[in-house]
Amino acid sequence: MYFIRRLSLVALAFAFTVAGCKKAEAPRAAATDDFGDSVRIGAAPSRIVSLSPATTEILFTLGAGPRLVGRTKYDLWPDSAKLVPSVGDGLRPNVEAVLAVHPDLVVIYASQDNRPAATRLRAAGVNTLALRGDRISEFRRVVQLLGATIGDTARAKILADSVYHTLDSVLAATRPLPKPTVFWHVWDAPVITIGGGSFMNDLVDIAGGRNVYADIKAPSGTVSLEDVSRRDPDIILAGPDGKHQIESDARWRIVRAVREGRIFLVDTGVVARPSVRLGEAAVLIAKLLHPGTLH
Amino acid sequence: MRFRGWYWLLLIASLLIVATIGIAYGAASVSLGGVFAALHGSGDPTSIAIVRDLRLPRVVLGALVGAGLGASGAALQGSLRNPLAEPYLLGVSGGAAVGAVIVFALGFSSDGAVTVAAFVGSVAAVILALAVSRVGARGSRVDLRTLLVAGVIVGAFANATIMVALASAEPNTVRGALFWMMGSAADATWPRVIWLALSIAIAGGALIYWAREIDVLALGEETAASLGIDAERSGRRIFLIAALLAAATVAAAGLIGFVGLVVPHMARRLGLRAHRQLVLGAALIGATLVIAADLAARTVAAPTELPLGAITALLGVPFFLVQLRRAT
Repeated sequence: MYFIRRLSLVALAFAFTVAGCKKAEAPRAAATDDFGDSVRIGAAPSRIVSLSPATTEILFTLGAGPRLVGRTKYDLWPDSAKLVPSVGDGLRPNVEAVLAVHPDLVVIYASQDNRPAATRLRAAGVNTLALRGDRISEFRRVVQLLGATIGDTARAKILADSVYHTLDSVLAATRPLPKPTVFWHVWDAPVITIGGGSFMNDLVDIAGGRNVYADIKAPSGTVSLEDVSRRDPDIILAGPDGKHQIESDARWRIVRAVREGRIFLVDTGVVARPSVRLGEAAVLIAKLLHPGTLH
Repeated sequence: MRFRGWYWLLLIASLLIVATIGIAYGAASVSLGGVFAALHGSGDPTSIAIVRDLRLPRVVLGALVGAGLGASGAALQGSLRNPLAEPYLLGVSGGAAVGAVIVFALGFSSDGAVTVAAFVGSVAAVILALAVSRVGARGSRVDLRTLLVAGVIVGAFANATIMVALASAEPNTVRGALFWMMGSAADATWPRVIWLALSIAIAGGALIYWAREIDVLALGEETAASLGIDAERSGRRIFLIAALLAAATVAAAGLIGFVGLVVPHMARRLGLRAHRQLVLGAALIGATLVIAADLAARTVAAPTELPLGAITALLGVPFFLVQLRRAT
């Protein structure tokens, strides 16, 4: 497992070097973004504002980090992202603060409450790309659209291929293994978990587990402690705060996995974003679900 | 305090000064010369976009919302003879929120859809409140105080509906609706500003036209009857106009609390008594307060924006306390 991951990283680095040598200038064209609006592609924007952590991560991986002139206050990965000035929130962003850094491309999360901001940015003449990739299956489309918009489709393809390659190898490795049931703890009061509509549910599947709340169609849902105990998960996944809350609250002891001490810590910075580290996230979770069997 | 004629100049001057500051400052730093040039459509295109398309409509929308809520509150407190009456107590806010949440939940939260749904929701709530008050009266004359109770009941029912809807909705939907309920002038567009200006001109004009009736209602129903005014009919009319006025502001900028409650008190502390002047004075003070609050909301923690409704309360309460102290 570790070997596969190392190998894919080396391949990725090599491929990027090759791609970087080729200077392909695609003709100017337009594509449709996730708001159904037209976005100019093929140009090479030099002042990019990225308004979601996932797209900031992808842009850095595509080598466009030096061209970023704005990010949200939540975009903290990779470390060099912290050097890019923050323009505040990514949901209902401050349009004035975004315009103030004179962007020639703004990448925004395509949720309904961001529509007014996207409309305003377009009206001010800024090329705006609204993206919404909440599922693993959407990652390729998001990366390719981003790549096309910043004028680098070659690297985008390599990045998408590499992430799916890692995910495929994790899936292949976990396929023959038994499937432990998983409860993913997101929030404590009220108890919120991951539903079938989230990429984190997909991650559990790939890592060789089964989300006990896969039947919730939405990305997340509020559930009762009683129902968690009834569904009797083998393993609980939680962030640092969540693990502490579960362990310090006696009520959680009605859940067998808690009594038996099977609460595993996950790095929410890695697993909570549908981005370039999806492969890493799948490896991380697979190791927690199948200790000792994967290498 | 006795109201003097030159106070009008003072109120108008403070409105204009605050509005100018509101256009001159924001999250982006544009020089005063740049702001002036941008207003005339010259200079750097980004500055033009910031000043003419973001700040200017936002300041005007803030002024209109404040004016509408102030005037509505002044008319309601007078006609219902209750210093605690305010537009949001009449079910207007709850009804508007139900309308907006439904539209968010259905997935079309385009600019126009939310505005129209919020307006329809609040009008429906007001009609419902009027109907409830009639049921309470069982055919006999409606006590105007029943209207207030009916409004509170409709509002509580609306809130319950929202809680149920939000608990079972998708997180993205909830977030959009919650943002909307906190109130904001950030989505100010010229069509919205013009629509609100027209609504306020019509409803505000109607309040000023019937201001004498509010004066009489404020004296009590029996006095009103002895002066030949049908208190019930006239009270309902003022209630409906004030509610529509508030509904238009809610549709344009979400829920911005506190203004409708406190601004009329500020106007009265200045010595305004007759409702023709009181409604106008409250409109001017409300406009100034909301522009100032919005300026603070978008600059204090920039680039993060603070909820406008919270800022109006933070700015309004100390003002109110100082005036209260002076009065006693």
